[in-house]
Amino acid sequence: MLSVRTVKDLVGHFAKQNRLVLIPLLVVLLLAAVLLVLTQGLAYVTPFVYALF
Amino acid sequence: MSATLGISANYHDAAAALVVDGTLVAAMQEERFSRIKNDPSLPLSAARACLALAKLDAKDLTRVVFYENPYRKLERVLTMSLRTFPRSLTQFPRAIASQLSGKLQVLDELSSRLGVRRDRVTHREHHESHAASAFFLSPFERAAVLTVDAVGEETTTALWLGEGRSLKALERIAFPHSLGLLYSALTAWCGFEVNEGEYKVMGLAAFGQPRFRDEFTKLVTLAPDGSFSLGLDFFDSHTNTEVGFSPKLEALLGPRRSPGTPWDLTSDRDRRVADVACTLQTVLEEALLGLARRAKERTGANALCLAGGVGLNAVANARLARESGFRDFFVQPAAGDAGAALGAAILGALDLGDARPAPLESLALGLPVTSDDARTIAKNLGLVATPLSGPDDVAELLAKGEILACAEGRFEFGPRALGNRSLLALPTPIAVKERLNRVIKRREPFRPFAPAVLEAGAPRFFEPFAERLAPFMVTVAGVKAEARPSLEAVTHVDGTARVQTVKADSRFGAIIDAVGRRTGTPVVLNTSLNGKGDPIVASVADAFAFFLGHSADALVVDDVLIRKP
Repeated sequence: MLSVRTVKDLVGHFAKQNRLVLIPLLVVLLLAAVLLVLTQGLAYVTPFVYALF
Repeated sequence: MSATLGISANYHDAAAALVVDGTLVAAMQEERFSRIKNDPSLPLSAARACLALAKLDAKDLTRVVFYENPYRKLERVLTMSLRTFPRSLTQFPRAIASQLSGKLQVLDELSSRLGVRRDRVTHREHHESHAASAFFLSPFERAAVLTVDAVGEETTTALWLGEGRSLKALERIAFPHSLGLLYSALTAWCGFEVNEGEYKVMGLAAFGQPRFRDEFTKLVTLAPDGSFSLGLDFFDSHTNTEVGFSPKLEALLGPRRSPGTPWDLTSDRDRRVADVACTLQTVLEEALLGLARRAKERTGANALCLAGGVGLNAVANARLARESGFRDFFVQPAAGDAGAALGAAILGALDLGDARPAPLESLALGLPVTSDDARTIAKNLGLVATPLSGPDDVAELLAKGEILACAEGRFEFGPRALGNRSLLALPTPIAVKERLNRVIKRREPFRPFAPAVLEAGAPRFFEPFAERLAPFMVTVAGVKAEARPSLEAVTHVDGTARVQTVKADSRFGAIIDAVGRRTGTPVVLNTSLNGKGDPIVASVADAFAFFLGHSADALVVDDVLIRKP
């Protein structure tokens, strides 16, 4: 779980950058993420992983 | 007292660095403890080892500084994925899951796993950490600073001005235009492992000719102002995390080389790969020179500092030292992401009012080995351990042609072994290189080995080189023609060597000096003490594991010699 401090910093960062519009997208994708984690769909890590993630 | 811990993690080569009252007291990579090469995991073992070495507890830490901004990273993943939609569709869920399932809460994790109050855990920016590691560990009061890597939060290249205790950001180039990603994508095309095989491409380049210049003008455009841009049709790092290039690259340069295929540099196929590597190396050097000229123009500084993974390219560094127009040049020798932990720690310490650290003199920042441990392990394993009287005894064995696995003192930080965790041998005959490459280290036969030479003796064997870089093995030098017969195992095909200069008053210096008295050549072949795919040895136990699994002639731990029965 994210701490209150991290949530505050995260929202603060997105607000400062005028990126709050991305928050709903983040929430929806969180569900996909949870599914992937639960189904262990992330077991394979590719070489360019750092470029994206 | 103030104690600041810098942390880099989660992408590749995680590390921890500790600054106490303005002094860099320890820095270690997690791979040395987990024994997983380039381990990206949170470096908890490395952090605890740094604290133990300084006799501190986690609760004594004034601040823990993570080397990049996790929120900005998430923002880049989101915006880039939207920008490249629908191509990003296949990678997007994985990317976002990776962010949300761990990377976003890295500061919380550090707080809870290390046992440090959350309000003491903070972060800086990725390239700022690189820049700080280069400038604040340099001896310069004023310098231009270049940071060049694959990608940080969204920056791939940045220009800074360092003055005293401050760093000012001047210009940047953003993802996906990246020299690091260009080099890595071509590393994958050459059939090497990304984040590991870049050195091999640099070594391979010496066997080729830069005959693909026309093709490369499509891959990367170098602007007169020093900036650059990639031909994005040829790269796919934002949607394809497998190889980082698109089918168009293979249409342009030919099919990628199959990983693991035996090398034959007389074949058309491998000569073509060598020519591509050579062209890539040439273009990278020209791009860096463009950036350096821009840095000179913007800052008017006399000195240049460099960090970021591209700073590990010793051949490019040599060219920068010669042609960039700066009077002085410093490369932070653990230039990759591990080294950013140094910068994060220093930035945190400066915020707390600490003095700027002293210029970097030594990379022996890890845990030490002891001969008592070596005797105990040897006894338990039934191996013969005999005392050595000093460097003379080691030199005697080397002069007989033995290849020695040597561990002494604290292990080094960064990718280079500089004598404390090294395989040592004479720099001739060529059979030494063959035995090391093919039998002991089991690596590609074209890969060169480095010579370690006494500082004062270097001009006898090598053309002039960047003296500030040579103690850390981050530059190359031409080997004088008359010296090549006595240095054939450490002279690359293009007549250069990745030279390391060693002070005569060190133990390693005394060994080299003693070898010189016996052979007339005070030079020793020095390569890292590790087997194929393994991290460099850290502990005495690691040294024994290496020795028992590989065919080195003997193991030396401090003043103890161990032989197999």
